[in-house]
Amino acid sequence: MEAKYDFERKYREQILRCSRCGFCQAVCPVYGATLRPGLNARGKMLLLKEVMDGRIDLSNELIETLFQCTTCASCTHNCPSGVEVSEIIKVARKDMVDIGSCHPAFTGMHDVLLHHDNIYAEDEAEDFGRGKKATARYVFFAGCVGLYRETEATEAALGVLDKLGVDFTLIEEACCAGVLEDVGFPMNDKLVETNIERILATGAEAVITGCPYCARTLNNKMQYAPLRAKGVIIMHIAQFLKDYDLGLHTDKKVTYHDPCDLGRHCGIYEEPRQTIRKLAPNFVELPHHHADALCCGAGGGVRGAYAKNSIDMARRRLKEVEEAGAEVVLTECNSCVHNLGNAKLRKQKFTICTTTQFIHDLMEEAE
Amino acid sequence: MIDERIKADLIRIVGNQNYTDNLIDMVSYSYDASEHRARPSCAVWVETTAQVSEVMKLANREKIPVTPRGAGTGLSGLSVPAHAGVVMDLTRMNRILELRIEDRLAVVQPGLVYADLEKALAPHGFFFPPDPSSGKVCTMGGTVGTNAGGVKGAKYGTTRDYVLGLEVVLADGRIMRTGGKTIKNVSGYDLTRLFVASEGTLGIVTEIALKINPKPTMTTTAMATFNDLEDAGRAVAEVMRSGILPSVLEILGRETIVAINQNTDLNLPEVEALLLAETDGYTKGETDFQMGKVVDVFRRNNPGMVKLAASQEEAAGLWKARKSAYAVLARIKSHFVLEDVTVPIGRVPALLKGIQAIARKHSIQIATFGHAGDGNLHPQILYDGYDPAQVRSMEAASDELFRLSIELEGTLTGEHGIGLSKAPFMTLEHDAVSLEMMRAVKRVFDPNNILNPGKMALDAA
Repeated sequence: MEAKYDFERKYREQILRCSRCGFCQAVCPVYGATLRPGLNARGKMLLLKEVMDGRIDLSNELIETLFQCTTCASCTHNCPSGVEVSEIIKVARKDMVDIGSCHPAFTGMHDVLLHHDNIYAEDEAEDFGRGKKATARYVFFAGCVGLYRETEATEAALGVLDKLGVDFTLIEEACCAGVLEDVGFPMNDKLVETNIERILATGAEAVITGCPYCARTLNNKMQYAPLRAKGVIIMHIAQFLKDYDLGLHTDKKVTYHDPCDLGRHCGIYEEPRQTIRKLAPNFVELPHHHADALCCGAGGGVRGAYAKNSIDMARRRLKEVEEAGAEVVLTECNSCVHNLGNAKLRKQKFTICTTTQFIHDLMEEAE
Repeated sequence: MIDERIKADLIRIVGNQNYTDNLIDMVSYSYDASEHRARPSCAVWVETTAQVSEVMKLANREKIPVTPRGAGTGLSGLSVPAHAGVVMDLTRMNRILELRIEDRLAVVQPGLVYADLEKALAPHGFFFPPDPSSGKVCTMGGTVGTNAGGVKGAKYGTTRDYVLGLEVVLADGRIMRTGGKTIKNVSGYDLTRLFVASEGTLGIVTEIALKINPKPTMTTTAMATFNDLEDAGRAVAEVMRSGILPSVLEILGRETIVAINQNTDLNLPEVEALLLAETDGYTKGETDFQMGKVVDVFRRNNPGMVKLAASQEEAAGLWKARKSAYAVLARIKSHFVLEDVTVPIGRVPALLKGIQAIARKHSIQIATFGHAGDGNLHPQILYDGYDPAQVRSMEAASDELFRLSIELEGTLTGEHGIGLSKAPFMTLEHDAVSLEMMRAVKRVFDPNNILNPGKMALDAA
């Protein structure tokens, strides 16, 4: 029988390989927050299997699970059968969109990006009170969350680069557009071209991003190949900062939350720790760390589409910060900061910020 | 489809947010880790014993099947709702109610995940010894319902040996307590153990009092390879005669080893059989002494090589690989059946040889691994479920496997349960009188046959 959908054409063998052992259930943040196995990776694979077997069809009834995945990749990482769940979900979402079944939050995001250059439909870009240089050695790429929501973190990152004497510039950046593919739509070429053109125009040798997701997109997506073909290096600011000796010190008990996009998706675990350990000898790991880190609940569009569950996931992570007894939880992702910050309870007295924000504040104190 | 009136009653009992008949939940609740499938009419997420009781009263009055469910990791279709009806998901009853170390007692709710119990016991230096491979996800209710075993059966027994008492909701909604909180208890019939391995057919367990053990702090791990399956089998039997009781003694057959190598960087030698042994105790001298005896036995039985794990990390890697065996084997073919036939330990060599013969006869791939130390093997039959010829071969091979195990004075199932998979074979193992007694017990507890119907061949007249 001819396969009806792309997910089947591409991933039939993998979906059948799911042995239903349920190991993903132990690590899925959506399951952890809801205890609803239909939302877990196994539940999703079973639905796709039933579609392939012709027992059910893709329909609006599947939106709640297929569009409720933070793409944290814990399931993929823990699957003994090697099923790449997050990749399969991406293609299944595209199939869903093709038949007109999509969560309104994602349709909305797609529509916004047709007319705006950022996911928040903001008309005026924050310029952080600084102009743009015509040329510079580095481009700092903040990302939508950094430009429009976690502006303090971005300001701090720019401040740190200034203090380190880095020759960099901002550009009039557009959304990296990677998220569109994650939620079932094609990447918006116009946005991609704008970014490539403006980055290349500065003659920069590298792009430093404040957002691990943007770094992933610019580094891995085929649409950004022209940028890479010109020899432009793309790195996250955690990678850029690791070799600096900042000469800073704090006695505070500091912990680190691995963003899924930097950790499981890019394998970058040690660079941020290298920086943090240098300035905070009193460093502790959270109960789940490195590849086992719990997701903050923001990814894959879940924060917008399923806000309550997203906050519940963040609360589970914050409980670990409490358990670790940390005064400061650092991370490398504005989205994580945003969601963890929203979920923080009044009794939780620790500080949540990006590593660069923390560095910036220590620099200010030292001055 | 569920009757609107009954749906309204269920919602009244559990609340709107704890009732579902959404397609995504119904599909998810149609499966466990076996190849069985049956879609329920609805599901409820229960949070209290009182809710369980009210649901049962309703179900009993209306004669609606109720299938209790934990993590759904069972391998015999135990939690597949064969007669549709209501799936009762108990995973939200997941608290540890009491932890009394000096009494060697943990009282837990059925939805507690095994790993969370382990995590709570570890700081006290205690553990719950049955160590099912699904431990990081399976629930304690399912552990009791199947009498789950694991890799430590030879030395530490199975769940049955640790259940002291239960709170159970009966089919008609009455709430019953069995056993107690003491290590010794011979007061009246042992209703507690009647419920262990009852597969949710007699009542819904809502509270479990468990005996816990101090956890030995030291282990020694060794591995031996054999180019002949029978040498490995003989080594197992001889270890049992040696006077040493290893805490773990596992066997991996060639196909299993190959699958593990394809998915890890362990580079295990791809031989006919690999034995993995662990001894435990409180000093290195003690565990090394025991392992020395085990290794002597290995050396006497034509091993390819014998190797002690150099570090705890190396040992941990081997055990992790062993626990992933069934899932990595699942990569080879689209479908599989994982059996758990168990024979007296001295018959392990005959069972191993018999499995190979069955695979050859039916031209089907059977990968074997298992708990050699307690005679419990896991032949995993790999096949393409979309190919009718292979499905027939799988069925014929399963059938012969069960007959072989019974011929060797073994059992159909050492730890996965009868469920749907082995129900047709109950008469192979149990005589007519024994089966009639089981059915009579079922009728006493569940006269309307609403509790997990279709399992264990209890429905047959």
